[in-house]
Amino acid sequence: MGGSPGGPIDKSQHETEDWECLADAVNIALDIKGLKTTDEHRRAIESLENYRELGYYERWVAATEKLLVEKGILTREEVDERSTEIEGRWGGTR
Amino acid sequence: MTFEPGNRVRVRTSEKPGHVRTPGYLKGKTGRVESVLGEFPNPEDLAYGLSGRPKRSLYKVSFRQADVWSDYEGPANDRLYADVYEHWLEPDKGETA
Amino acid sequence: MSDAHHHPHHEAGTEQAISPYAHRIRAIEALLLEKGVLTEPEIQDRVSYMESRSPENGARLVARAWVNPEFKARLLSDTKTAALELGIDAAGPVEFVVVENTPEVHNLIVCTLCSCYPRAILGRPPDWYKSFEYRSRAVREPRAVMREFGFEPPDRVEVVIHDSTADVRYMVLPMRPPGTEGLDEENLAALVTRDALIGVNVPRYIGS
Repeated sequence: MGGSPGGPIDKSQHETEDWECLADAVNIALDIKGLKTTDEHRRAIESLENYRELGYYERWVAATEKLLVEKGILTREEVDERSTEIEGRWGGTR
Repeated sequence: MTFEPGNRVRVRTSEKPGHVRTPGYLKGKTGRVESVLGEFPNPEDLAYGLSGRPKRSLYKVSFRQADVWSDYEGPANDRLYADVYEHWLEPDKGETA
Repeated sequence: MSDAHHHPHHEAGTEQAISPYAHRIRAIEALLLEKGVLTEPEIQDRVSYMESRSPENGARLVARAWVNPEFKARLLSDTKTAALELGIDAAGPVEFVVVENTPEVHNLIVCTLCSCYPRAILGRPPDWYKSFEYRSRAVREPRAVMREFGFEPPDRVEVVIHDSTADVRYMVLPMRPPGTEGLDEENLAALVTRDALIGVNVPRYIGS
């Protein structure tokens, strides 16, 4: 990353959304409980195939899920199922 | 291997796969140890759920920007510091006694 | 929407697309709570923690350092302990180091590998700090980057970039702007912007 060519820096700031605060909080809460480490989190983010397409907290959520599945705490299917249910219930609410 | 402040060091050019905390742009570059930051569990192992022991020494290394970027546009003495683990450093062959 | 530049802008009146990851993290939260992996208070604690961290903490540390040389020395040698004196709790596994700007040296902070930032003191980093553009260009052309923020140190000032590659987090102690001798700590703190704490700019004072 460092030293790669890059364009102008977009200085606009978006307001952190509720789900992003939640992603942050869940991630750190898991770290504090010793269920995962920052280093695992970074490794999981780096291993995301669509790293460049995802936003910052999208990467966090994808990495958190990857680690939870890896550690056998959750399954992808459970998350899929519950996400679909939540999406159906909440629609476009953020 | 251990280093001391003032030592000239070169960042290894290892293409080690997986999680590393040595930036690609510093590989093969020569700098100087600024300070010893302490010993920490190896993040490259922690990243895979391993213990990261034995701990590794972490060094704050300074580089002249002109030594990092062949076409650096600013003043040659502009500097960059990075925190680099001992196993990524080797003594710079060009160092005089 | 997460990072603004990754998503298209929407016309007024159309529904803004929500990231699918919003549903996923809510699903993950619900499942973790049901399985007893995390509790509501544990999650809420982290939300409150981040809400209480902001650039104002950094500004207060800088202002105190400007008026009190002994505090400044403590801030530079043991940042976590000095921060506690002002009620700022930066306890945790990472170390904090404050780097001082001088007439000869200007410091700039970046994390090229991810977006490490002194969150325990300053809260969340700005979107631009996390951008690929900043992370790639700050080490390669720091002066051009700073110019985009409106700051251009002369060539005789050495620019020093700190790439936070390990478990140390950096914050800049900017120089006190001239003409501020009459200001109290609170008014001095108001001059210290988050951008100055990262190093892309410096505090400025236009005396009245």
